[in-house]
Amino acid sequence: MIPAPDTLVTDPRDRGGPAQSLLSVNGLVKHFPVKGSGFFGRGGMVRAVDGVSFDIRKGETLGVVGESGCGKSTTARLLMHLIKPDHGEIIFDGEKVGIDLPLSEYRRQVQMVFQDSYASLNPRLTIEDSITFGPRIHGMAETAARAKAHDLLARVGLDPSRFAGRYPHELSGGQRQRVNIARALALDPRLLILDEAVSALDKSVEAQVLNLLQDLKADFGLTYMFISHDLNVVRFMVDRVMVMYLGTVAELGEGEAVFAAPSHPYTAALLASMPKMDPSERTIEAPLTGDPPNPINPPAGCRFHPRCKLAEPVCATIQPPLTASAEGTSQAACLALVPQSGHTHAAKLLLPVQDIESMLMPEASA
Amino acid sequence: MSNLVSIEGLTVTFTGRGKPVRAVDHVSLEVEKGSVLVLLGESGSGKSVTLRSLLRLHPEKTSKVEGRIIVDGHDIMALSKTEIGDVRGRTVSMIFQEPMLALDPVYTLGQQITEAILRHEDVTPEQAHSRALELFEKVQIPSPERRLNAYPHEMSGGMRQRAMIALALACRPKVLLADEPTTALDATVQIQILLLLRALQRELGLSIVFVTHDIGVAVEIADKIAVMYAGRIVESGSVADILHTPRHPYTRGLLASRVERAKKGDRLQTIPGSPPDLTALPAGCAFAPRCDKATAACREQVPSLVTGAFDHAVACIHA
Repeated sequence: MIPAPDTLVTDPRDRGGPAQSLLSVNGLVKHFPVKGSGFFGRGGMVRAVDGVSFDIRKGETLGVVGESGCGKSTTARLLMHLIKPDHGEIIFDGEKVGIDLPLSEYRRQVQMVFQDSYASLNPRLTIEDSITFGPRIHGMAETAARAKAHDLLARVGLDPSRFAGRYPHELSGGQRQRVNIARALALDPRLLILDEAVSALDKSVEAQVLNLLQDLKADFGLTYMFISHDLNVVRFMVDRVMVMYLGTVAELGEGEAVFAAPSHPYTAALLASMPKMDPSERTIEAPLTGDPPNPINPPAGCRFHPRCKLAEPVCATIQPPLTASAEGTSQAACLALVPQSGHTHAAKLLLPVQDIESMLMPEASA
Repeated sequence: MSNLVSIEGLTVTFTGRGKPVRAVDHVSLEVEKGSVLVLLGESGSGKSVTLRSLLRLHPEKTSKVEGRIIVDGHDIMALSKTEIGDVRGRTVSMIFQEPMLALDPVYTLGQQITEAILRHEDVTPEQAHSRALELFEKVQIPSPERRLNAYPHEMSGGMRQRAMIALALACRPKVLLADEPTTALDATVQIQILLLLRALQRELGLSIVFVTHDIGVAVEIADKIAVMYAGRIVESGSVADILHTPRHPYTRGLLASRVERAKKGDRLQTIPGSPPDLTALPAGCAFAPRCDKATAACREQVPSLVTGAFDHAVACIHA
């Protein structure tokens, strides 16, 4: 076994020191025009990501949860620069991506693993060729790249002598996802974005891959952004969690705190919707009614208010800012938590002295 | 007899191309009137193939189905084409994972539901329409009159799934087959659909055979669970027995590897290896290569499903 390097201290690529977030995202916005507008009698924009800001700290796992259309995958694609943001900036270890830090250098340090293990691999390349492709593009010699590929295959639990020459269709889903992870690691990235990376796997295989991800994180000193719709898996994997709803951040905080005592009513409903694990504790009433609304023309004010039990008239007018919870372990975008917001729940809050006016300014959106 | 569905020695072999694949191997099970049986298993375990056999949905040219299936007195395998057409929708109906693929995109939902009613019952189109409206109210679709005139693509995923349930219930079937109907739905919608199915099942006295890979979903809806592995039932029993006192090493492994019970950062217990290739099943117990209890005897003979107390059955010589 190779001893785990303590990269937080010794990684020569570290620029900003341990206190600097590995990745900071400020005011990220991505709207997609609706094709053939007018077909449904309404054209317009899908507000896929609408003013999202967050940090990923060095060495942590940040979980991202939310329902379809909440913008979690679009956020991931924006971070990878697979699509260009309309607004907002991405700062990697203190350097602005695309300005201070060239894209090619950034992409070497940020890699992604997708849900569909088969679609992510070129069917005409052997496993070995798939893994060496990236390093060779980035200038590594062929023999060195092959040695690296074999090493990585061994690290993800696939015997290189048996698997290196195989094609993707010759592997099972779990094996293919291991190959995708090995390929993502081939450029020695510092941040791995896992977009539903275990969601398509059988349960008995999922546990193996989750263990592998934890081992690799420690061995390679990685930072993870872990996107999943499976709240149980997220609870198990993450240090902090970001809950998204219709292109905005509903809640962001320490994983254990958020799962134990959610601050945002949406987070609470999402957690209460998880199937129970004991037949004597079956769910009696659905926490939410209806489907998540369409991200085309989302509701004004708080986007969750049409489905929210705490909703009051004020919620339809003001988009709530992320506000620290009383315990300080999380931030939630809910007017019930904002002192003097006009929400009756907020009236009971003890006010820290703050510039309330500026807090209540609707967030700048395009 | 209180068993509405009774399957004996069901074996399904696909012979389409290449090596024949035995997807279901000597499966026997029974579903009581008004109860929910969940077939739980991973991909390739044969759960959906078993379900589809109940409606004889496998293409005759490329599949061989053996065994006996009796549903509400009908011998499914012996029925003529017209007779099976009468059973489909009337006695047994089915809902699918992806309603967008199961519903016809060029007809409104109202048209599809009335068509089904008119096929099976001697009623006027007006009566069929008012039944469709009733059904839409029953599955809690808001503004049902307007939604009957909607096409499938105009509805959200959860509404489409409700519409498909309405369509399946159009001719008051006795047995509802559900093939992962909540898997493609968001968490907050999934629980709504599960609760709806539970309510309908109680109200209408339906028997449901529900296929899923998700233990949590099974817990929310099942009366009984049959765990499948490599085309065979390896364990079956009440939901509480399976969950609290699992006896087959596969069930135990599956339950032990759940992240729900683990603390953050723990190593998860895992089942080594991956589900077997159905074209190259090992002799004897199919789980033996992944099982830490396996002995030479396990590799010789397929263990039979032995029923113990409280109908808790297990197919393992070490259990």
